[in-house]
Amino acid sequence: MKNILKFILSFFALSFFSISAVAATSVTFWHMEGVPHRVDRIQTLIDEFNSANPGIEVKQEVQNWGEIYAKAPASVAAGTSPEILVGIPDFTPILAEMGAAQPVEDFVAELDSKYSFYQKALDQYTYNGHTWAVPLWNMALSVWYRKSVLEEAGIAPPKTWSELKAAAKALTKDGMYGIGLPGNKQLYTDQTIYSFMVNSGASEIYNSDGTLRFDNPETVSAYAAYKDLYQYSAPDAANWTWGEAEACFASNSCAMILQFTVISTYDSQAGGDASDLGVIQIPYADGKADSAGTVSYVNSAMIMTDDEAKMEASKKFLSFLMEPGNYGRFINMEPGLFLPITEAGSKDSTFWDDPVAVKYKSQIETMLDNSTRGSLFGFTNGNTFTSISSISAQNLLSQTLQLAIIDGKDAKSAVEEGQSIMNEAIE
Amino acid sequence: MFFNKNEGWFFVIPLLIWLSLSILFPLYIAIDLSFYNVKIIGTEGKFYGFKNYIKLLNSSKFWSAFNHSLLWVLGNAIAQTFFAFLIALILNKKFSFQKIATNWIILSFIIPTVVIVVIWKLMLSSSSGIINATLINLNIIDQPIGFFSTPSSAFISLVLINSWRWSPFLALIILSGLKSINREIYDASKIDGTNVFNEFWYITFPNLKHVLFVLGLVGTLLSFNVFDIIWLITKGGPSGGTTTLPLLIYETAFTKFRLSQAAALSVITSIILLTFSILFIKLMSDKNNDEN
Repeated sequence: MKNILKFILSFFALSFFSISAVAATSVTFWHMEGVPHRVDRIQTLIDEFNSANPGIEVKQEVQNWGEIYAKAPASVAAGTSPEILVGIPDFTPILAEMGAAQPVEDFVAELDSKYSFYQKALDQYTYNGHTWAVPLWNMALSVWYRKSVLEEAGIAPPKTWSELKAAAKALTKDGMYGIGLPGNKQLYTDQTIYSFMVNSGASEIYNSDGTLRFDNPETVSAYAAYKDLYQYSAPDAANWTWGEAEACFASNSCAMILQFTVISTYDSQAGGDASDLGVIQIPYADGKADSAGTVSYVNSAMIMTDDEAKMEASKKFLSFLMEPGNYGRFINMEPGLFLPITEAGSKDSTFWDDPVAVKYKSQIETMLDNSTRGSLFGFTNGNTFTSISSISAQNLLSQTLQLAIIDGKDAKSAVEEGQSIMNEAIE
Repeated sequence: MFFNKNEGWFFVIPLLIWLSLSILFPLYIAIDLSFYNVKIIGTEGKFYGFKNYIKLLNSSKFWSAFNHSLLWVLGNAIAQTFFAFLIALILNKKFSFQKIATNWIILSFIIPTVVIVVIWKLMLSSSSGIINATLINLNIIDQPIGFFSTPSSAFISLVLINSWRWSPFLALIILSGLKSINREIYDASKIDGTNVFNEFWYITFPNLKHVLFVLGLVGTLLSFNVFDIIWLITKGGPSGGTTTLPLLIYETAFTKFRLSQAAALSVITSIILLTFSILFIKLMSDKNNDEN
């Protein structure tokens, strides 16, 4: 009798736990941070969240940037999209237009009241009367160099394009390329050429009515300057992505490169002498100091479900990530790369206490400062139109650059043809 | 004779059903899609008639990709045939470590494509690649070569990388053909005083025709459809110089988000390959039969 009673009690206990398990709201978190230590850091935070919130089960699924543009819309069509999708601004309009990305302005306002977002971070996701994603971290392009290399050549860190060209020319010798500039038809090149456009006053590529204003004298001057500098880059730069540029810098084959960060590779593969690592803002066109800026990518989380319970669970998880104490650890999944997008986050001790942040504090402070002047093509001054996705997904800024640096066209003809390609793409 | 003619159909029908499901059905979907203007997967499109086809056939991008595909197939056919014959003829001779060499060459097509891409990109890098460094140290060049810096150099580099990968596989097939040739024919020709060239041209080559027929057909189709190596190394660049039809289809569907256009491209590509296969089988098999 006692055994039967035990059996019945065990059965009910098991049933209860099974029901509890089934009732947990599952949240799938897609991101593209596939480097193992980033995956581990995210998993640590997910584990902490899941144990503190038994009714919610978050799981991460790592995707890659090369496929996500095709995979995410396909997953929406197939009804298998994740609840949270990490993305960059030019990816959001496609999913917003498909009705997949949910407006989150109320949730963002709630977070803003607690942690105070930098306005630039919100700008990249606010258009058509809504905020389409929750900003998570920022990345901004800077110029990286070795102080000793410039000092040995008697060159001061360049501030203008003419100083940059003179430095690149002088440093191109003895197996070293003066500057590592990519020429690939790829996102990295979109970023580098746009950072030149920003610094010549051509940050706007749309008119307020949605027509393109890409073909203008400032854009032409940016493309001409890039083409001029490209001769001091490595011959295979036409095939470069971020990794090759970083490798070129780490092996001391490139004197300067434009990169979000080099801290990790510099520290692990290039000696890691923090006092020799220099970082400055991207030089501006001569006489255009007021245009000084860079390209910045605010990475964000889109909520992709309209199911009330899943939406609430997703918000709860994102709130957890944004909390000081968690936030610094979250963006330090890659120390020295991801930058805070809230004032509270910038002061989070878990961000600055990381050993890498301690060692490269001055570089990170410069990166953070540069990021406050960051903008992104198609997401400036409220002139945001969904057709920007077609331009960025097809890498048309870098395709236009290839017309100049590979096909040998002059900058004016290349930009003119580039605008016509863009018009065709967005029709 | 255990089965009559009709009973054979019972064995063939499952395969026919499977082929219908796995090939004809997706092909039907692609043909149907090509008559609409669907842009993103899962969205609706309007009926567009033959506009996608007309647009493509008038587009310079299509003809450029078509020409690149022809050059790609031709370049690979020449390079792979040359290297495969060279390897096979060497391996057909008796020498020390011949067995080890025969097994060793299999490595190139066992290694995953991604690994091959990483290896070659590293070796051909102009800033840290071993090939440029060697050529400079040997004073053959004074500046590093940008193997992927121009459309033509990138194209040639890709053909050679792809040929490096597949030549040993073809070599093994040719080698098996070589082994099946009766040695007595060679011995007799030697008595008649035949030189090496005539030996190859009048004995080896004719006896390998059946093997070459299969390689010609299958190799061309496989070569035409190569996507991974090109995409992983150059993504069709620089400046579209290595964009073949399979890459153009992918780009049109998944970066330009013109799904119906991509479907039309797929249909055109299928027609090209089907026409090639029919002509190749008809012409080459007739020729083979005549000669036999």
